Amino acid sequence: MEQFAPVKRSEDGQPVRYLIVDDSVFARKNLARMVESFGGQVAGEAGDGITAISEYDRVTPDIVLMDITMPQMEGIEAAEKIVREHPNARIVMVSSVGYQENIVAALQRGARHFVQKPVKPEVLYEVIKYVMRDDGAAARSAGAGA
Amino acid sequence: MTSSPEDRANELRELFFESATELVQNLNEQAMHLEKAPGDPETLRSLRRTVHTLKGDAAACGFRELSELAHEFEDVLTLENPAATPLVPDVALRAADVFTGLLEGYRLKKKLPNIEPLRLEIARLAHPGSNGIVEKKPAKRASPVAHWSEYERMTVAKAVAAGKRVYHVRVPLDPQCAMPIAARQMIKVALSALGEVLALYPGDDAPVTRVEIALSSEKSAEQIRAKCRIPTIAQNPRVTLWQGNASAETGAVAASTEPATTSPSVPDGKATSAPPEDSAPATAVPASDNTLRVDTEKIDNVLNLVGELILAKSMWQQMLHEFARRFPKDDLHGKFSDVMAFQARALNDLQRSVMKIRMVPVEQLFRRFPRVVRDVARQSGKDIELVVKGGDTDLDKRILDALAEPLTHLVRNAIGHGIESAEERARAGKRPQGTLRLNAYHQGNQVVIEVSDDGHGIAVERVRQRALSQGLLSVEEAAQLSDAETLDMIFRPGFSTAAEITELSGRGVGLDVVQSVLDRLKGTVQIETEAGRGTTFRLRLPLTLAIIKALLFGVERRLYAIPLNSVVEIARTFEDEVHRVENYEVLQLRNQVLPLLRLGAPPDPGVESAGRKIFVLVTNSGDKKFGLIVDTLVGEEELVIKALDDQSISTELVSGASILGDGRVVLILNLMALVERFTKARGNAADSRLAGVLRAGTELAPQARAIAGGQA
Repeated sequence: MEQFAPVKRSEDGQPVRYLIVDDSVFARKNLARMVESFGGQVAGEAGDGITAISEYDRVTPDIVLMDITMPQMEGIEAAEKIVREHPNARIVMVSSVGYQENIVAALQRGARHFVQKPVKPEVLYEVIKYVMRDDGAAARSAGAGA
Repeated sequence: MTSSPEDRANELRELFFESATELVQNLNEQAMHLEKAPGDPETLRSLRRTVHTLKGDAAACGFRELSELAHEFEDVLTLENPAATPLVPDVALRAADVFTGLLEGYRLKKKLPNIEPLRLEIARLAHPGSNGIVEKKPAKRASPVAHWSEYERMTVAKAVAAGKRVYHVRVPLDPQCAMPIAARQMIKVALSALGEVLALYPGDDAPVTRVEIALSSEKSAEQIRAKCRIPTIAQNPRVTLWQGNASAETGAVAASTEPATTSPSVPDGKATSAPPEDSAPATAVPASDNTLRVDTEKIDNVLNLVGELILAKSMWQQMLHEFARRFPKDDLHGKFSDVMAFQARALNDLQRSVMKIRMVPVEQLFRRFPRVVRDVARQSGKDIELVVKGGDTDLDKRILDALAEPLTHLVRNAIGHGIESAEERARAGKRPQGTLRLNAYHQGNQVVIEVSDDGHGIAVERVRQRALSQGLLSVEEAAQLSDAETLDMIFRPGFSTAAEITELSGRGVGLDVVQSVLDRLKGTVQIETEAGRGTTFRLRLPLTLAIIKALLFGVERRLYAIPLNSVVEIARTFEDEVHRVENYEVLQLRNQVLPLLRLGAPPDPGVESAGRKIFVLVTNSGDKKFGLIVDTLVGEEELVIKALDDQSISTELVSGASILGDGRVVLILNLMALVERFTKARGNAADSRLAGVLRAGTELAPQARAIAGGQA
């Protein structure tokens, strides 16, 4: 896999910590491999929305990569719940093109960004850099008017 | 199975072309459905899905033009702009044509068609009422505020009046971005973090190729720009400060706008920098997981092997007879019989199953015709309704594929020449709308496909005159031909009744293509016409070309076969029951007089032959009944047809050969050709016409044996 200049947390220069949420083990491993090539650290994984919420509380990651269609609780709802509890949560939705409406909904509920499946490392890298560049205050008001 | 990467790539390519052709066909159908039911949301959705899949597949195969066009089209469709809806069917049909051209270009590595006209049409869909080029011209954006609603404009004006810093932010979307609506939301979310979004363009009912936002913010223009540089979504945001009154604003905006930024087309540099396969969406999955695409050649192979097994079966049977003869008391005989019966049953099922794989519904062929009819009807200014029946009738795929051309020909011909113009129809007291019917059904072991129109019919006399004037008939011949035979003249090469060859029906080729294809398929075509009422072309085709049930008989100690389904009955009679009427030999069969066709030599006049027993096979070829006089009956058998190439068989009287279990070769006769030879020959008074049409053919038998034997 391609090598990327590591993305670090701007506040302390530490590796970015990720929570990867997807019901497919393969997809999780694939994403984990990618974020590790960005110099990141997988702090936690979840296979459904409910676990995602508890994992978020447990590991407080810098970035959540969130699938949309999952059993028990879908990505949008999980994203919404996480952002409600943690307004600074950086959630990147990961989804296929067909789910455009769902992505719009997730963005309205506080997700920061989205990447399209199949995820390309160089795209995800750019997205991560963009999302990490954000000052914490970013999308706080975003949901309101949407 | 091992395959090289090139093989895999080729296989994929083939798969792509196959499925893309299918998708384009769907596009055609959906577009035409939309023509009938404008704006039907379900159809619009399927149309969009079709275009979407096509886009993804094309991108995955690296066919850039196709994927881009499909992409642009999909985008426009996504908007569900009600004003554009009436235009969608036309554009979709045009798109189907251009896509077909592109596919052909890709496949044959030919020059690609010009896609710009379609591109303009698609762009025009995005802004109905405009000329399509507008999108690219700065003129349109001279007053961007006009995009915005009254309310939004008021909000902007109020904010400016209140002394707020209001920015006009224009963000062209990354053309590779597959989710423009999500992108718009993303930009809105990003900018909301910096201030207040006062106005947003486009709204929900316009194309999203760029986003324009009026943002009230205290941040600097540079900060806003940075915020808008969102990877995969937008790169070149333009941010200008809004100031002064409305007219000054628009002026400032126009001056600062670069024309190319929002062009709907993808700038070349960008498209090539991103490898096309990257944009292949993961959603492009085949329609059904339970379907397997198999090369027809592979199925043919299996079918051939089944043929060999059937041959082996009859060899076993032969052996069993032999065994029974030599050891009549051995109880192994019964066991053998049981095993063989079991094997025969399994073999039967196997054969039927394999055949079924080859069978496809005629629907696959018929579905192209709504488009053909629509186009041809438009070109000729006629109003024509197409009625399709029996689409679920199954037919061998190879036959089906070969039928496409002749059937298209017949359909074009029916619309071009058969059905009259609306005025003419009105004069004749008919409904102004013409009707074209396609019908398919099984009849015995055959499939019948009919193309009928309710036009003015074919004037037999005109056909006769035309054939005479074109030198296809001599005066004597013309006088002798029956009406049906005269009608058949239209299938002769070089025949044309139309005053000029029109682009519509003729394409410079006559209906002879119909005849030649049907000959090849061992089918027949028959015309039924009634002046003022219309014409029906009836195509009869065998279900399959590979295996036939045949009746075997002997003539002059040689073995022949004809398809069993063409045999109506078998009559047993005596030589003195055969009568002569004019130059025919006939047989009175119950209350019918049956013309006879003597396959062997006529009885020697000197020898007493009146009491000789003969068999007459009453056959049905087309609609004509004929009796074949044969010497002996051998029985029914399933024959696996071994094709004979032209060099080994120079007579049309034999359509194929087969081998029996005991190794004997059977020639399969072409009934149609026999009958034709017979009817032609009756004009000559010479007695030789009765001397057995088959005698010429029999000489070929040893040669055919060698060929067929070699293939066994």
